[in-house]
Amino acid sequence: MDFRDGAHNLYHIIVAIGYLGLQLLWYFMQIIVSVWYHISIVGKLRYLAVVIESEEAHQTSKVIKLLQWLDSVGVKNVCLYDMNGVLKKSKDTIFQIMKNAKSIEEVNEDVTHHAPDHMTLEFVSYVDGKEAVAKAANLIFVENFKRHDIGGELDHQILLESHLNQALQIVGCKGPEPDLLLVYGPVRSHLGFPPWRIRYTEIVHMGSLNFMRYGSLIKAIYNFTKVRHNYGT
Amino acid sequence: MLLLLANMFSLRLPIPLEKTLITSLPKTSTTYSAYSGMTRFQVCHRYLSNSITKRGTSVVAFQDEADGEIFVDEDFLEVDPLPVELQPELMPKHVAVIMDGNGRWAKMKGLPTSAGHVAGTQSFKRIVKLCYGWGIKVLTVFAFSMDNWIRPKVETEFLLNLFERSILSQVEECKRKGIQISVIGDTSKLPKSLKSMIANAEETTKENPKFQLILAVSYSGKYDVVQACKSVAKKVQDGLLHLEEINENIIEKELETNCTEFPYPDLLIRTSGELRVSNFLLWQLAYTEFFFNQKLWPDFGKDEFVEALSSFQNRQRRYGGRH
Repeated sequence: MDFRDGAHNLYHIIVAIGYLGLQLLWYFMQIIVSVWYHISIVGKLRYLAVVIESEEAHQTSKVIKLLQWLDSVGVKNVCLYDMNGVLKKSKDTIFQIMKNAKSIEEVNEDVTHHAPDHMTLEFVSYVDGKEAVAKAANLIFVENFKRHDIGGELDHQILLESHLNQALQIVGCKGPEPDLLLVYGPVRSHLGFPPWRIRYTEIVHMGSLNFMRYGSLIKAIYNFTKVRHNYGT
Repeated sequence: MLLLLANMFSLRLPIPLEKTLITSLPKTSTTYSAYSGMTRFQVCHRYLSNSITKRGTSVVAFQDEADGEIFVDEDFLEVDPLPVELQPELMPKHVAVIMDGNGRWAKMKGLPTSAGHVAGTQSFKRIVKLCYGWGIKVLTVFAFSMDNWIRPKVETEFLLNLFERSILSQVEECKRKGIQISVIGDTSKLPKSLKSMIANAEETTKENPKFQLILAVSYSGKYDVVQACKSVAKKVQDGLLHLEEINENIIEKELETNCTEFPYPDLLIRTSGELRVSNFLLWQLAYTEFFFNQKLWPDFGKDEFVEALSSFQNRQRRYGGRH
């Protein structure tokens, strides 16, 4: 009987140790996958844009939840866009809840290279798109004509892509081109997101904000990390 | 993409003929034989013929004779009826297409890239034919991006050469069929002969408003915006505009897509599973519905196009008109 009891106890001890070992292995694998996942994202997804249909953008709590999800998976630089500027009006509320977030205006260095200890948020609407390009072009024209008035050359052909880039910075459009753009809303369109910034941006339609899911978000981001860009070659 | 267009125009497709009457026309120049590889050309004589197809329809077709074999182009005027699942009143007026995936298609089949472009021309012809017959007014295709100039010079020169020959061979046919050809993009980089050819094609076909085919060659969305701004600056300099009047609407009127009555695509289709616009029509796509399809361009056919149109129409019904 003693032998049987001893064997029984030994069996239980082995099972317990084995179970503990499996749990430790599982946690270890989760850490490895999580670290690998963060490295994949941080390396490739430097700037994310989220387009939300203006009707749905009124749901500030959902927007905050989305931002919290993004923060948790290591996405630190986010541009929020809706056509009518609803998200701009919710800016204060969002920053009150997202205490580790800063506005892009507060970040002096290149926004895609800041330390990952905080999120950077940019709020954009339709006026920052085509209207901003018109303002930037106007700025270049005014400078050019001023130069002409004081004896300089007037050359309308001097306007180049690089000049518009610089002028856009001056009129307040500081954000870089997003790597990935997620569209929340009923239509598969970017709804007027600044056209100057989406040359090679991956665009993914996520459906309505009302039905947003963490799994879908992770899947969209993960799929992006697997994309290979040819850039014309 | 240019290669597939070039091959579309010089395509030889054998179809059964019941009767053939050959009327005399000058022989044309070389056509490209894709299966021979990228650098080989095959001399081909082209005639105009009245042919009777298997279905008994009388058509005017181009007939090519090469190496003793006779090939006749498909009857372009025979169009499939509109599928029942599509409503004619909800058809998009302007469809834009990024034809992507020829190279990958060829690689998958173990064929040279050129074969992918030849196969891609079938898809291109199909879509043009379907758009023409189903009441779509404008089709814009991204033929050659400004970003493609970084490809080897041999390749780009070859592509542009083929494109030039293609325009030459198809202008009269397009004029007869009521297809207006327009080309947008930075033509300053193109060879003089091609520029001249493009100008001639646009002039010859401009009186045909039934359908407009816009070919974006050496084009980029940013270039389009910059050239629009330059045009506006010129107008200010010439006293036609005041600085205070400049706004987005003024810039929009100077974009190269102003060559059409419907400059903003209602639907953008991109094949091969890529999910980006790649510097195509950046300004014009603000409210365009995107349809990204996994199929490679040579495999994109009528069924896939119907799926894209059906998806567009369903969203139109649910969410109303667009800007």
